[in-house]
Amino acid sequence: MVNKFRIDRRTHLKGLGAALALPLLETMGWADSSTSKDKTVAVPVRLGFMYMPHGVIPDQFWPVNAESFLTAPPPALESLQPVLDQCLLMKGISGVPILPFGGAPHALELSTWLTAQLPDADTRSQINIAISADQIAANFVGGFTSLRSLELATMPQTHKENQEGLNEGYYTHCSFRSATQPVPAETNPRSVLNRLFGKTDQPGQIAKVDPLDRQMLDLVLDGAKELRRKLPQDDQHKLDEYLDSVRAVERRIAAIEYRQKEAALEKSGVASTKRNASDSPPIEIKIPVGDKRSEYMQVMCDLNVLAFQTDTTRVSTYIGSTPNGVSYPELGFNDEHHSQTHHENKPEQVAKVAAITAFNIAQFAYMVKKMASLREGDGTLLDNCIMMWGSGLEDGNKHSRDNLPFIIAGKGGGAINSGRFLPDTKGNQGDLLTTILACAGIPLDRPIGIATKQMNEMKHNH
Amino acid sequence: MAAQAQEQDFAALQAETKKVFEDRVTPFFKSYCTDCHGIYRMEGGINFAPTLTAPGSPSSAKTWRQALANIRAHDMPPDDAKKQPTEEERQMIVDWMGTIKFLSPKDPGTFVIRRLTKMEYGNTLRDLFGVDPEIAAELPDEVFGEGYLNTLSPLQSEQYLSIANEVINRMMASQDQPPTEAQKRLFGDTPAPGDDLRTAARTVASQLARKAYRRPASEAEVELLLRVFDLAQENKLDYSASLCLMLKAVLVSPQFLFITPAKEPDVGMTIAPLDDYQLASRLSYLLWATMPDAELSVLADAGKLHEQSVLLDQMKRLLADPRSRALFDGFGAQWLGLMGLESKTFDTSMFPQMTAEMRAAMVDEARLFFDSIVRENRSVIDFVESDYTFLNGTLAALYGLEKTVIGTDMRRVKLEDANRGGILGMPGILATTSFPNRTSPVKRGVWVLEQVLGEHVPPAPPNVPPLEKQDKQAVANLTLRKRTELHRTNAVCANCHKILDPIGFGLENFDAIGRWREQDDTGGAIDAAGELPGEKRFSSPRELKAIIAARKDELARNLARKLLAYALCRQLEGYDEIVVDQLMVVIAKDGYRMQDLISQIVTSYPFVNRRVHELEVPKSYGQ
Repeated sequence: MVNKFRIDRRTHLKGLGAALALPLLETMGWADSSTSKDKTVAVPVRLGFMYMPHGVIPDQFWPVNAESFLTAPPPALESLQPVLDQCLLMKGISGVPILPFGGAPHALELSTWLTAQLPDADTRSQINIAISADQIAANFVGGFTSLRSLELATMPQTHKENQEGLNEGYYTHCSFRSATQPVPAETNPRSVLNRLFGKTDQPGQIAKVDPLDRQMLDLVLDGAKELRRKLPQDDQHKLDEYLDSVRAVERRIAAIEYRQKEAALEKSGVASTKRNASDSPPIEIKIPVGDKRSEYMQVMCDLNVLAFQTDTTRVSTYIGSTPNGVSYPELGFNDEHHSQTHHENKPEQVAKVAAITAFNIAQFAYMVKKMASLREGDGTLLDNCIMMWGSGLEDGNKHSRDNLPFIIAGKGGGAINSGRFLPDTKGNQGDLLTTILACAGIPLDRPIGIATKQMNEMKHNH
Repeated sequence: MAAQAQEQDFAALQAETKKVFEDRVTPFFKSYCTDCHGIYRMEGGINFAPTLTAPGSPSSAKTWRQALANIRAHDMPPDDAKKQPTEEERQMIVDWMGTIKFLSPKDPGTFVIRRLTKMEYGNTLRDLFGVDPEIAAELPDEVFGEGYLNTLSPLQSEQYLSIANEVINRMMASQDQPPTEAQKRLFGDTPAPGDDLRTAARTVASQLARKAYRRPASEAEVELLLRVFDLAQENKLDYSASLCLMLKAVLVSPQFLFITPAKEPDVGMTIAPLDDYQLASRLSYLLWATMPDAELSVLADAGKLHEQSVLLDQMKRLLADPRSRALFDGFGAQWLGLMGLESKTFDTSMFPQMTAEMRAAMVDEARLFFDSIVRENRSVIDFVESDYTFLNGTLAALYGLEKTVIGTDMRRVKLEDANRGGILGMPGILATTSFPNRTSPVKRGVWVLEQVLGEHVPPAPPNVPPLEKQDKQAVANLTLRKRTELHRTNAVCANCHKILDPIGFGLENFDAIGRWREQDDTGGAIDAAGELPGEKRFSSPRELKAIIAARKDELARNLARKLLAYALCRQLEGYDEIVVDQLMVVIAKDGYRMQDLISQIVTSYPFVNRRVHELEVPKSYGQ
């Protein structure tokens, strides 16, 4: 039943002008045959990325060995215990070497995180890097949902600091729609809710839309052509960015119109093409009033869960924290995260970094545990997700990037062989991103950033 | 006349720069550099051949900067090179590089189209429809760089659409009520029965677009709005609902959200003056952060605004209006670094005073002070040294003036204590440049050097532990000053810290939220004595302020550069440096007054002109 619904809606959306350009891949050797089979009838895989800066305390993060992973997990992972059997940890994934920009570890840890590539050195004062993995995925699956992708952040992206002449945007952005277009993240839970469902206080319920608006936007887009022609090329790019966003609204209205028609049909007794009856009802969102970071992060996580659960989007990126000036009064100290990571192994500061790390992982755990509690088809929502948590440094004290910490939760619809710790992996962050996208059935026509291969050890039947 | 003299001066300087380049600079590079960094060998990817062919082109700028750093630091030529330049030769190169700007062609830069900022958008809706600008509150905040990093969320249009709906909801009277003021103003009278609705709608569309696009709409633009009207009519909407759909189309059109030119420049032009409509918008968004008002629009329609005397009168009029607080909200707050104070974390057990009221009063103090310098046309040096500020009861407590200043209203207060007065002794700024639980002499030093004096402070080399990482036992009994001074025992750190730390030490009498103190957190006495390059000694904030205030040219030049970049919404480059040089000469004559600076900026070559096609990149500067 679920499957039929997918096919129907996809066809319908294509009819509305949301047809997608599918890159050619199978021939390029980057498509993953084990998951791309029967793609049209599979429940969609959702991809989520969540970030924490400055690395971890390695001996509190890495399990002692493969065997102890599930039985005696390290302190940093305690909050994940109930779902550890659905998580995958791999040690040995290296980051992009940042040597050419040696003095800017923190501007680069975030901006290389999903691009697996360094900024262009010659135009470093502007944003010029590469499309990020989440946006590649959104380009492919974004057309099936009312929102192309969801970008969230805990802190406003307004940090100003200039290292090695790098554009300040590199400090605070990890999603890039193209080499030169950083995607801003939403920090206000209320706005996120409005964007997911329109202005309605009942999450999951569909806001009213006016089909006339869609036709009006269509005319506005048409009218912009003349203006565009008059502008120089740089300005045309700026205008295109806006026009793309207008097109996104058009499409969202079309998607909602479709859902409304579907609901009307169901009401009049026509056989439902809706979700399987065993699915859980949409979760409830409570927007906190205070400024407690855990509550704030949890509502952002809830919104992410809800967006996936209702298939409002299939790709999300949450910058849980940025590399600059963030402190965690809730943990009983006011020191800024960055200042503590240069701990030189002093126990007091190591303990603070460990607490901050555990706190961030606990928010991620909150999200994936909720996903594991929601039924979807024959399994859970988490079964059909790939949720990646990670950092752009291994050890903030040394700025090292040899064994970047990542946690992969969810099975990606069965592609990922989870519940394991692989203590001796060989690969880089580009390989990891490439493999994750392949597991989600996203065909790639080239490797991501510095990738040279897929990490087949992540998958089943390896 | 003055302009002509400037042109002549410029030509003379350009000629001199070229002469030194040919006689001395080219031979220097040929004898010391091009063996390894030329067309045959490009060690480290550096090739001086194109740089020496087109020294003034923007693409050479980076190579020059790199060369300058290496030559000055004696990193190049390498120690094992055949020959080394003399000190005198190195200095000659360093001096010449300061004159490269004279090789830039006279170029105003492009008029970058940009989306209205959140503040500008809200204010513009207020002026058009009489709605509260807070209607735009849900839009995400901008990321400011030099100028703007104006990224757009793929979903932002959705917010524009929903705000447009909300505007219409608030503007339109309900069915049985008489029309609102805004409705009458924008939609005019309802056509009489039998009148042609489309003709009436055309008039409305054309007037609406003139206001909202801030320029006359083209025939095609009006026609498009009529197609929206037709769409509504076909769907059986009544006349006023059809106009509303048209209005909605205006509000999500790029012509409303971006400042766009009224007409295309003549074919073959490379540099064109801004048309009067663009100029009106540029001026109005700079000083008011909103659309041009009726008076500016009339002048633009009459084609008078570009006349210098008219432009300056308008600038003065705009500055005298309360709406010019936008210059602080958009520029001043960014310059002073106060954007994040509202949400900055403080250790609440140490500083329970840092309530929302206190933070708001701190920002208000800076705003009113900034406004007073602008409106009273004071010298920009007063930013550093002045004898007044603005306080309310809450904030007065930090000054120890809580007995005389009572109540919640901010008011002007004369200061008796010369350690206060000016931005260096202002609590908001002292708090912004502190850690949550203590002062940071280093942050304060960097802030003064970069934001006040316009110097570039290179980042700390990697792997240098901040103070918290020092051996706790060894430093337990040292004052913060003594601990910070440990930086300077390390040769790598000492170079920069010997300049920036003393400035921070000079402000150590102010604690992390700007209260006066005689002892630091360890109980040790504050030692605010120090020395800046040039044997300038000080022993208190008052004396430090006097030394910095005496560096008038640097202070004014820094503010001029930052304000010009803000006005142009882009980074300064090549020819802009010449513009700054020229305006500095003018504003120095009357002691660097703020309105003189703003006058110079709004009449400057890059403000009133725009490049419309790429300039030919000169093969060589001479031809």
